[in-house]
Amino acid sequence: MSVGVTVAAAGSLLPVPVALPLTGAVLAPLLARVFKRLALIVSAVALLGSLAVLALIAPKVYGDGGGVLAHYMGGWGPVHGAVLGIAFAADPFGMTFALACAGISTLLVVYALSELGGLGERELGAYACLFQLLVAALIGSALTADLFNLFVWFEVAALASYGLTGFFLERPIALEAAFKIAVLTTIAAFAVFVGAGLLYSGDGALNLAQLHDALAAHVGTADLVALGLLTAGFATKAGLTPFHGWLADAHTAAPGPVSALFSGLMVNLGVVAVGRLAFQVFPTSRVPILGVLMVIGIVSALTGATLALAQDELKRLLAYDTVSQTGVLAIGLATRSASGIAGSTYHLVNHALFKSLLFLCAGSIVHRTGITKLSELGGLLRRWPAVAAAFMVGAASIAGIPPLGGYVSLSLIHRGLTESHQYVPLALMLLAQLITIAALGRAAWLAFLREREEDYEREQPLQPGMLIGLSGLAVCCFAFGVLPGAVIDHVMAPAASGLLHARQYAHAVLAGSGRLPPVSVVFDYTDLTELTIVVVSLVLGALLAYGYLLRSKEPLPVRALRAVHTGSVNDYAAFVVAGVIAVIAALRWAG
Amino acid sequence: MILANYLVAGFVFCAGLYTVLTRRNLIKIVMGLSLMEGSTYLLFISMAYRAGSTAPVLVSPPAGRSAHDLVRGNVADPVLQNFCLTAIVIGVAVTAVFLAIVVRIAQHYRTLDADRIRELRG
Repeated sequence: MSVGVTVAAAGSLLPVPVALPLTGAVLAPLLARVFKRLALIVSAVALLGSLAVLALIAPKVYGDGGGVLAHYMGGWGPVHGAVLGIAFAADPFGMTFALACAGISTLLVVYALSELGGLGERELGAYACLFQLLVAALIGSALTADLFNLFVWFEVAALASYGLTGFFLERPIALEAAFKIAVLTTIAAFAVFVGAGLLYSGDGALNLAQLHDALAAHVGTADLVALGLLTAGFATKAGLTPFHGWLADAHTAAPGPVSALFSGLMVNLGVVAVGRLAFQVFPTSRVPILGVLMVIGIVSALTGATLALAQDELKRLLAYDTVSQTGVLAIGLATRSASGIAGSTYHLVNHALFKSLLFLCAGSIVHRTGITKLSELGGLLRRWPAVAAAFMVGAASIAGIPPLGGYVSLSLIHRGLTESHQYVPLALMLLAQLITIAALGRAAWLAFLREREEDYEREQPLQPGMLIGLSGLAVCCFAFGVLPGAVIDHVMAPAASGLLHARQYAHAVLAGSGRLPPVSVVFDYTDLTELTIVVVSLVLGALLAYGYLLRSKEPLPVRALRAVHTGSVNDYAAFVVAGVIAVIAALRWAG
Repeated sequence: MILANYLVAGFVFCAGLYTVLTRRNLIKIVMGLSLMEGSTYLLFISMAYRAGSTAPVLVSPPAGRSAHDLVRGNVADPVLQNFCLTAIVIGVAVTAVFLAIVVRIAQHYRTLDADRIRELRG
């Protein structure tokens, strides 16, 4: 703990990780006129700087079982427990997301230097600008402790994501996808906006800590409606069912590094925000928010996995798997046990790593062959072993095969469900995992393992930036699987503590800094039950994939789900509205 | 009187939502979203209303009121009005992006019918 800065200095550094990418976003289009790749280089520098500052603050947040640092913008601190200013507060949960954002986005920029470096100066400048705006918004949303500020970061991320989705304007599907993401996210933004306004007018506060104190005393109907609106709004960003209509389309249309940014990092904004609201703002004991989250999580996990199994387009398959994985994150949070929440935070990092890796693999395949459909691919293992190896690492991590990261986080979530005696959700989650394994196994077989007779028309070599991106992410996937003890003790257990001890969090935010009570999370690498689950689900998943490949026609659940996803923006908007109403009704009457 | 504000806000919101859910013309969908947005401004301004209050400018009190009245809090809620200002700025940006996308769609597809622009599905 002796290394680095004092607590006060660390607190005052909190806005810097957001300010750096924002500055970079302004500079990038200007510098692109001098030398076009400078736009991406300045992005990499800004994001690395952001990572460095976060790393400087991190020991104060993670050390001694966890702590909270707060900074009030412009010195508008609390007066007698009432806050007018905007607060940034770093707790272990948000800090983990912020660190993942800064680190992974740096690798994505390095990758983009190779894949997109050939674009014109205007395109590269705009790309670097939007990319950094999105990352700045994600880090801001991870660190903020103010509800309206959270809404602003939500909107910054939303606007940047519209631009990035429609980035390849010459591809008509990019326009279609951009329109869908814009409509659904705008409706979600209204929900968040009205929710924040309702909470403010009912409780007279926007600061999360002050809101916690007000809501601990009394939760009225207006507060429940507000919570429903906020949950639905952020669930749309997270791509949870039934709010996920935009997700697969946006990922299909966007370039590889953008899909990686969306799936790996942006969807987590929603998860982190919902986690904060559910635990740190509202009293979980008196509001049935975790039950709602559990149901949404299970439905998302199953829907996403089933739709992923049926996709012919590689990026679309991965996108639907994201729906499934955010569902798993929601399930982990909804367990309300330290193991489950720590596992969920762990899975958030793992998912960011392996999904970015997989999207970069998919992006590089599309970039190098021009083919997007699995049915037209094949034989890539022999042609490009490096990409194939990276894809296998990512897929194995999703499948939860030791010694990769996914094994640890999924085991922790299983343990959380077992500890809280929720066996039906556990069974459904295992079913979703099994389908996920089948979906990725099928993709791996079709694209990499099976033979392909004719050569590809277009074959470009793997450039150094791409290799750095792929290998960096793959190494991290291993690192988080090999060192679970240290990661859990120093990062994930404090994160769970921050969510479980809302009173201490609120107190620390209002006081400017504070410690969190330590929680212990046990993880046993050689737990026989978990190893059995891995083996059994691998075997069953392989059988399911084999059966699906040999099928004569699509099974009924798959056909029904695909029929519901009509591609019509009106229908998707209707799903979102129905979801909002259902969430509010459940919160109001299920308690 | 303030009840009328809430009713109008609710009506405009529903009208916008109805448009978004049922119209297939992309421009009309954007208009529907703008209606929904406008209704939230009306809602928030109405929630900021306090009976007999003044504008939330705390520098020089209007005739008939002392600075003491203002400090006691008989002003319209400035935070909710700030909400609206921020949201209006964001709304302008979002609408601009929307219209840019719609113009591009019209150029590429030669149609504004949402049902004819659904290559991505399932």
